[in-house]
Amino acid sequence: MPLTLQSRRIYILPTRPGLVAAALLFLMLLAGLNYNNSLALLLCFMLCGVVLVSMHECHRMLSGVRLISARAEAAFAQRAGELLLGFENDAPRARRGLRLRVPEVAPQSFDLPAHSSYVARVGYQALQRGRQRIDRLQLSSDAPLGLFRAWTWLHLPLEALIYPLPVALQPLPAPTSEPRTSDRARRLQGDEEWAWLRPFQDSDPPRSVAWKAYARGAPLLVAQYDAPTGAHRVLSLRSLRALALERALSQLAEWVLECERQGESYALELPGRSVSAGRGLAHRCACLEALALYEP
Amino acid sequence: MKQRGESATAGALAIPAIPASTLRWVLAGLLGAVLLNVHHTALWCLPVALGGAAWRLWAAQHVARLMGRTLRVVVLAILTLAVLLGFRTLNGLDAGASLLVAMAALKLMETRRVRDWLIVIGAALFLLLAACLDAQDLWRAPLYAAELWLLCTALYALGAGAGVPPPTALLRSSARSLLFALPLAVLLFLFFPRLPGSLWAIPREDEAVTGLGEEMSPGSISQLVESRDPALHVRFEGALPPPLQRYWRGPVLHDFDGHTWRRGRAEFGPPAPLEFEGTGYYYEVTLEPNKHHVLIALELPKDVPEELTRVGTTYDYQLIGSQAMNSAVSYRLESFPRHRNVDALEAGARWVDLALPATRNPRSLELAHALRAGAGTDRAYVDAVLDYLRRGGFHYSLAPPRLGANSVDELLFTTREGFCGHYASAFVMLMRAGGIPARVVTGYVGGEWNRFGRYLLVRQSDAHAWSEVWLEGSGWVRVDPTAVVAPERLSSELDDALGAAADGDQRAQESSWFSASVQAWQAMNAWWQDEFIQFNMAKQLNLLGSLGLKNRDWEGLVMLLAAGGTLWLSVLAWRGRDRSTPRPRDALGRAWRALERKLRRSAAPRALHEGPVAYSERVARLRPELAGTLKPLARHYARLRYGPGCSSAQLQRFRRAVQLFTARVKP
Repeated sequence: MPLTLQSRRIYILPTRPGLVAAALLFLMLLAGLNYNNSLALLLCFMLCGVVLVSMHECHRMLSGVRLISARAEAAFAQRAGELLLGFENDAPRARRGLRLRVPEVAPQSFDLPAHSSYVARVGYQALQRGRQRIDRLQLSSDAPLGLFRAWTWLHLPLEALIYPLPVALQPLPAPTSEPRTSDRARRLQGDEEWAWLRPFQDSDPPRSVAWKAYARGAPLLVAQYDAPTGAHRVLSLRSLRALALERALSQLAEWVLECERQGESYALELPGRSVSAGRGLAHRCACLEALALYEP
Repeated sequence: MKQRGESATAGALAIPAIPASTLRWVLAGLLGAVLLNVHHTALWCLPVALGGAAWRLWAAQHVARLMGRTLRVVVLAILTLAVLLGFRTLNGLDAGASLLVAMAALKLMETRRVRDWLIVIGAALFLLLAACLDAQDLWRAPLYAAELWLLCTALYALGAGAGVPPPTALLRSSARSLLFALPLAVLLFLFFPRLPGSLWAIPREDEAVTGLGEEMSPGSISQLVESRDPALHVRFEGALPPPLQRYWRGPVLHDFDGHTWRRGRAEFGPPAPLEFEGTGYYYEVTLEPNKHHVLIALELPKDVPEELTRVGTTYDYQLIGSQAMNSAVSYRLESFPRHRNVDALEAGARWVDLALPATRNPRSLELAHALRAGAGTDRAYVDAVLDYLRRGGFHYSLAPPRLGANSVDELLFTTREGFCGHYASAFVMLMRAGGIPARVVTGYVGGEWNRFGRYLLVRQSDAHAWSEVWLEGSGWVRVDPTAVVAPERLSSELDDALGAAADGDQRAQESSWFSASVQAWQAMNAWWQDEFIQFNMAKQLNLLGSLGLKNRDWEGLVMLLAAGGTLWLSVLAWRGRDRSTPRPRDALGRAWRALERKLRRSAAPRALHEGPVAYSERVARLRPELAGTLKPLARHYARLRYGPGCSSAQLQRFRRAVQLFTARVKP
């Protein structure tokens, strides 16, 4: 994965201010030549040199940058998703004015100081349910003067999982049996019912953090509960036979989100693929993934 | 109404601002450029620019509205009108620079985006160009360089966007970029093909340049007396002429109305042929800008200079250029102080140089007739007049009384004091009255030898006037009546008589270190003028020749440019290449690095986390035959590096051991 940007794959062209600067330099040259004025000519040539040096520096803003990680966050269809690209600069010079862009989406600007790394998050447009390839990413820079723009195309094996767009058409199906005391209420009673603790991850909601343990000096931990066995809702494609397939999947996705919001456990049943009852981020992801990849 | 005001305020708040430090850089750059032009732009330029910058700084910290479009147009119209009224044109350099200042100051009132700020910097760069076009004195060069640095820094600040680096980092990066640009600039400067002439000409406003005048009125003190500015400097190839022959000939004056001498407009064919005798002197003159067309030359030049186009010799041996010397020119000549006219004097020229106003200076006319009657030959008459001047109790003075319409009468019989112009005027008048064709020649005499630059510096204060008389058999002969009146003051006549005000300056010049530093400064100035400012196509092609290039034309220039440019680019790329690991800073590290280089074919390079001993063991596993030497070397290095210290002897030993080490397989 560590992918070092090679000089020969970096393209560079003057920007519009760069073209204007070239025209102005030409005017200066004409004035200097016309009067055979040495100072004016030297000024013009110095500026030419500065512009060329800036071109070189612009090119060097990209060359040698390393791409150390690339991941596409799953997204709902027709919504904006996010790509996470980790860049590393192990050179002793800063890389400035970097812009990461997926075609047709607003770019993300960032700097890479000397010996640093940065995870750039750039948006992409999720199209339809399933897997979506993100073919071309452009990394560009117009530093240091904005007169030139260097860019390179990153061709990555980036594939994003696109969940169905959640659409609420029908109310949640009734649970199979009465739910027990809600998990949340149970959690408030004490820690004796925690099954186990695991380290905190970015995706965990703050309320799931074991703050008491944290107060005692432990690192950030998250309480993990046993999957409830009792009451749960069964979200089944069969129950939505009246709807077209895509709409039905959208409804299922909405139900998954709704159950998660309410903190209820649920199971997903698709023909040929079912996810047993559960709750939490991993369960939600598994269900949504099953929906995303479902093929009749 | 109140609501509208508030909404306008809200709109003003929404101006996307560049960071305050960037704003300061750009404004400083613009003001610097305006300051460099302050001597030739309109008086209101500096206040307008200062006002604009101050307003912008204020607006950056307060809620302010940018100037509306209508108001901007009105103000621009007013300023344009002011330029038009002040300069009567929009075309000249001074008017153009003033207009540029006005527009840049106005741009400050409406700049919103980065693009607008780039335009402001562009205007500042063009102002710098205007300053370069207008004034090229050596002392200004560092100012121009500083301004260029400032503007580059502003560009870098603008390019950095929101995260502007601190000032020192910005200054360093722009200095770095200028340093890298310098070799390319020098290359282009030397070898970019220059134009032989100009494509167009901007009319330059007439300036009051001190120097030789078009006319001479001995009744008033001439301006050029007061100026110690250089008039020309001369480099000789070979010997210098003796001091008494250093007469630098300029405009020749023929017409006399009793008070003022003027250059005649009459022209009498080509110059009469001369027979040159004795040794000639080769030299190159660099003439400072002046307002007349005459090229100054050592008396008398043999040919016209080749470097200059459209230069001709008049019948009275003046070298006339086609236009006034607005900028310094240099040219090469060969002159022969000894020369003789071959043919008789042409009738028209004789008539012009004998003409006298009949009613002016009656007593001088009488004196002339009396002296003429007593002298047998023309030569004897010249001697008699000179004798009269020598014995008549005349004094040399730079502040003589003013003279009236009969200036020669008053000088000879009343005041009896004056400077070169007075005596040349009186002498020529007496000659003409005695029937000898005579004319006044103005120019310079003497010059100061600069031992640093090895050239002769002639100042405006060396300006002089003398006379030429026509003697049958010899032709035109130079007679310097001032030399008779005040022989000791000939070469430095004006220096001594400058008066009390300059006395201190004069004494200071005599102290050796001061005069040495003054001479060194003058030499630098002369070099600057000759080699840098005057660098042109001819010198460029000469340079090609001295570099040994056969085709001394633009093809050679382009070849050299291409070669040099490629070299520059590759050096730039090489300098900027990314080193995988930074070069060690100490000798021990470098020695170890040399060892690693010797092993680069044997094993993968040492990883960052890998210590020297671990590395040596890894290599030894791959190349067991090296283990015996490599492992002790690595342990030695580790001891030197991480042990109590490393003496220079130990370092030497280690270095030597690394030198001896070889990873090659011995056959």
